[in-house]
Amino acid sequence: MRILLTSLVLFFLTGCAYYPKRNNFKAISIPVYQQKHLNHYFSDTTKDYVYKAKIEAFDKTFGGLFIIKKIDLNHHRVVFSTEMGNTIFDFTFQQDEFKVNRILEEMDKKILITILKQDLQALIIENPFITEAYSFEDKVVVESEILSKKHYFYLQDMQLQKIVRVKNGKPNVTLEFNDIEERQVENLEITHQNIKLKISLSAI
Amino acid sequence: MRWNYGHYTSLLKKNTQPIFCLVFIMWTVIGLSQTKMSTTEANTLKTLVKSLADKTETITSDFTQYKHLDFLSNDIESSGKLTFMAPNLVKWEYIAPFAYAIIFKDKTIFINDGGNKSNIDVGGNKLFEQLNHLITSSVRGDMFDDEKFDILFFKENGQSLVHFMPKDPKFAEFINAFHIKFNEIGEVEEVKMIEPSGDYTQIVFNNRKTNQPLSDADFTH
Repeated sequence: MRILLTSLVLFFLTGCAYYPKRNNFKAISIPVYQQKHLNHYFSDTTKDYVYKAKIEAFDKTFGGLFIIKKIDLNHHRVVFSTEMGNTIFDFTFQQDEFKVNRILEEMDKKILITILKQDLQALIIENPFITEAYSFEDKVVVESEILSKKHYFYLQDMQLQKIVRVKNGKPNVTLEFNDIEERQVENLEITHQNIKLKISLSAI
Repeated sequence: MRWNYGHYTSLLKKNTQPIFCLVFIMWTVIGLSQTKMSTTEANTLKTLVKSLADKTETITSDFTQYKHLDFLSNDIESSGKLTFMAPNLVKWEYIAPFAYAIIFKDKTIFINDGGNKSNIDVGGNKLFEQLNHLITSSVRGDMFDDEKFDILFFKENGQSLVHFMPKDPKFAEFINAFHIKFNEIGEVEEVKMIEPSGDYTQIVFNNRKTNQPLSDADFTH
């Protein structure tokens, strides 16, 4: 019994350890980062951000076109369509409002829409409210809550490289920004750790 | 907001000033240069398109596709090649700015997405069967089925333009209308697929060749 209790205590101390502590982040002051555009990859209203998408979901793979457009301050449209142009889903993110403009009937499932809403909100948010800031190796990591979930933004030389959504002290979803050229992300990946879902986007 | 006939007429009713109405009507007529065909003209076009479709064994054509979303600064442009063999083999191949090919063959859809190959068995899926049939028909323009569509015939800048509105509400939720433009010999020059939101995909064909020898090998992925 004592062994079991000790194991349980150890499990909670290590297993549920706070994400920054588990990763040996060092706390630093926030204000420097509070003012900055953390994510400027989808921040130009004059640009259409168009990607060829590959979605691997539950052992099935399918493709399409992924379109992100900043309409105004804190206002984005995100559309996913087939290559032949038929819209699969069309969402609006405006201030704290989220609206489904259109979704294919077969995909109109609350759980799926919630997953997409959380992933895409994290992807497009430009200035999340920062609650903590840390240093880690040669990076700065800032903590923020998006839709009541803790997210960690990894920056190197003030350039966003990765966003990690954390659940029970462990990475739950990772958004990686690769091949960045002049404020444009050429390739990005959204990977879920707890379900078989990966979204890969390549700029066209 | 996208303007349709209903918007024009309601605006005309609200604005009773004759001069405004006259200017508005002239603008509409000149701006769109679109007039309704007479029944005789419509029947002539139907006969022309059907007889050409019956004589068409194969088609190869380049195409340019424009995906229009109202909120975008520019349409999304892609281009590729269409290959068709009667009665119902169709290959759509996008070449730029990405490589993607989709082949409609019997009850299977074959996809080659930048080298990743996959098959989808659509046997029993009525919507996909309908889509397959529509794609085959729209390539040849032979969609004059009054049971499946409400059909309107127009003349626009010397070309024939036909609007096909699917009657099946399930399909109409997917595509609200097909607008097909025909040249003077009854070949499809342009297909516009309009979604319920008003956003559309426009496909413009060029360098079209008919009845060139093709084989099953042209429809592999």
